[in-house]
Amino acid sequence: MPVPATDKRVEARHDAPTHALPGTRRRPTAGLLIGLAVFAALLALRILAPAEEGSSWLADAARDFVSLSISVVIESLPFVFLGIVLSIGVQIWLPDGFLLRRLPAHPALRRPILSLLGMLLPVCECGNVPLARGLIVRGLTVSESMTFLFAAPILNPITIITTQQAFGWDNGILISRIAGGFLIANLIGWIYSRHPRPEALLTSRFQEECSLEDHAGQAAGKVGRSVQLFVRETGAMMPALFIGAGIAGLIQVGVPRDVLVSVGNSPVWSVAALMVLAFVVAVCSNVDAFFILSFGATFMPGSIVAFLVFGPMIDVKMLALLRTTFTAKTLLQLTVVVALCSAALGLAVNYVL
Amino acid sequence: MFYRRLLDRWLGVLLSIIGVVATLWLGVTGQLALYIHPRYFVFTIIMAVIAGVLALAAFVLVPDGAAAHPDEHGHADAGNRRWRRLGAAGSTLIAAAAVVGLLILPPSTLSTATVTQRDLNGSASTLSRDEAVELVGADYTAFTMKDWISLLRQGVGEEYLTGKTATVTGFVTPDKSDPENVFFAARFVVTCCAVDAQPIGLPVYSPGWQDRFDTDSWVTVSGGFRTNPSRFSDEVLVMVPDSIATVPEPDSPYVY
Repeated sequence: MPVPATDKRVEARHDAPTHALPGTRRRPTAGLLIGLAVFAALLALRILAPAEEGSSWLADAARDFVSLSISVVIESLPFVFLGIVLSIGVQIWLPDGFLLRRLPAHPALRRPILSLLGMLLPVCECGNVPLARGLIVRGLTVSESMTFLFAAPILNPITIITTQQAFGWDNGILISRIAGGFLIANLIGWIYSRHPRPEALLTSRFQEECSLEDHAGQAAGKVGRSVQLFVRETGAMMPALFIGAGIAGLIQVGVPRDVLVSVGNSPVWSVAALMVLAFVVAVCSNVDAFFILSFGATFMPGSIVAFLVFGPMIDVKMLALLRTTFTAKTLLQLTVVVALCSAALGLAVNYVL
Repeated sequence: MFYRRLLDRWLGVLLSIIGVVATLWLGVTGQLALYIHPRYFVFTIIMAVIAGVLALAAFVLVPDGAAAHPDEHGHADAGNRRWRRLGAAGSTLIAAAAVVGLLILPPSTLSTATVTQRDLNGSASTLSRDEAVELVGADYTAFTMKDWISLLRQGVGEEYLTGKTATVTGFVTPDKSDPENVFFAARFVVTCCAVDAQPIGLPVYSPGWQDRFDTDSWVTVSGGFRTNPSRFSDEVLVMVPDSIATVPEPDSPYVY
């Protein structure tokens, strides 16, 4: 029996039963008023908040922690929004099957092309998981979906632009990141394409969850679904962004400089440290370059590359999201392979370049 | 339970609105420069407006019960009540922190606390050697703090500096090697946003400066350069001030 389609474009054509009861839907004007009230309340809070004097009770270090964290948020926000808007455009406004129909049939060709699909689907990693689930359901093999999943957050225009803005062209960080992401994603795809029973890599709950996801996507019209996608994507990304920004600020203010410098100058330990950091902070790939930029002066370039390659593929948040689709054993294998490859890449940049 | 579901569903939108309101307010009041490089101003404002419209549309168009969190299913059948409660507490904490940080605390510049965490004049990327070469022989009255520091780092001799006076504005931060007699008039150089700010500064020889100026207060220093009279300081050349005046913090405290 075929798995039920999860993709919104397919599902919207079926005349699905209404799950939201008519009574639970707010009237549009009421919704608009609530929305405007929230905006007005927050704006009033900002305008009425005490200026300057109010800050004196905060110690300098605490104030700098706040400033640094806020700067990460303010800098990242427009890029996060841009990613969401583009992903809405691709997932909802492009015609059905527009992308998959054009893929070559031979698997050795499909995977490299799929890893470049991120160029057209500039979503960062959290948005990719639901997308990849939809692709599996619509006929992509498990290994192909993995290639897409791991390549897309790095090989995507927004990530490339922000990395370029942060580090420029000439120090090898951008090139190593792009090449490394492409190679690791294709290596993973190749390894898992040799798996005798690929469906064993998926959780048994996957089907059930697919049908759960169907319930989420019911609203009339493309505009309605676009807005729903905005709500879902911000729901996944904004908390992670704020937590990541807080941790970034905290490390800058809290970890003594001597520790950072001595770790950052060691070709091996700098790579290990930043990979652990990438795993823990789980910043979106769209903006992780800004996050790590502050370490650029103290950490060796190879460690920055390891951070920028490992983070988008595997981190706390990604594992949580991926667990909805893949078995724990699969995720453990993936983590080990990606970590080893990223570390090798980082060390190579530190020692060779 | 109702609160938890409301939060689950709307946390992302709420955080977006907080970010949008903060961004637009900073933009309107001209304080975006405290956090990001000016080249992002237009882009940031445009995306904030778009996100604001989408967030408003969410209130109008999204029916209750339709905007499920994508990873909700993963936790849903795990069904662990305690985790869900913890999740709700975490979400509340994030929202509260966002409100306090972005909407209640007054915006501020980085301080000496961050200078001590980073190398003063240490980052080669902020001060390029090529620029310094062009500076020699240029009209020094128009030199910025960055220009002067580039010159000193490049190692111009005292003979070049004789008779030349510099006027620079920066915040006061003590010299680590001789905090009694020497302070730096310092600025942060920002490449992208305040997180990557690197401090630069000119050493000023002024014994007993602590009695007259607070650390982190802003001053305009005017004076010539000479070999550092301090026995402890690591700096070779210092400014010997003709005048030091307290000034209010400039509108754009960072340099780019």
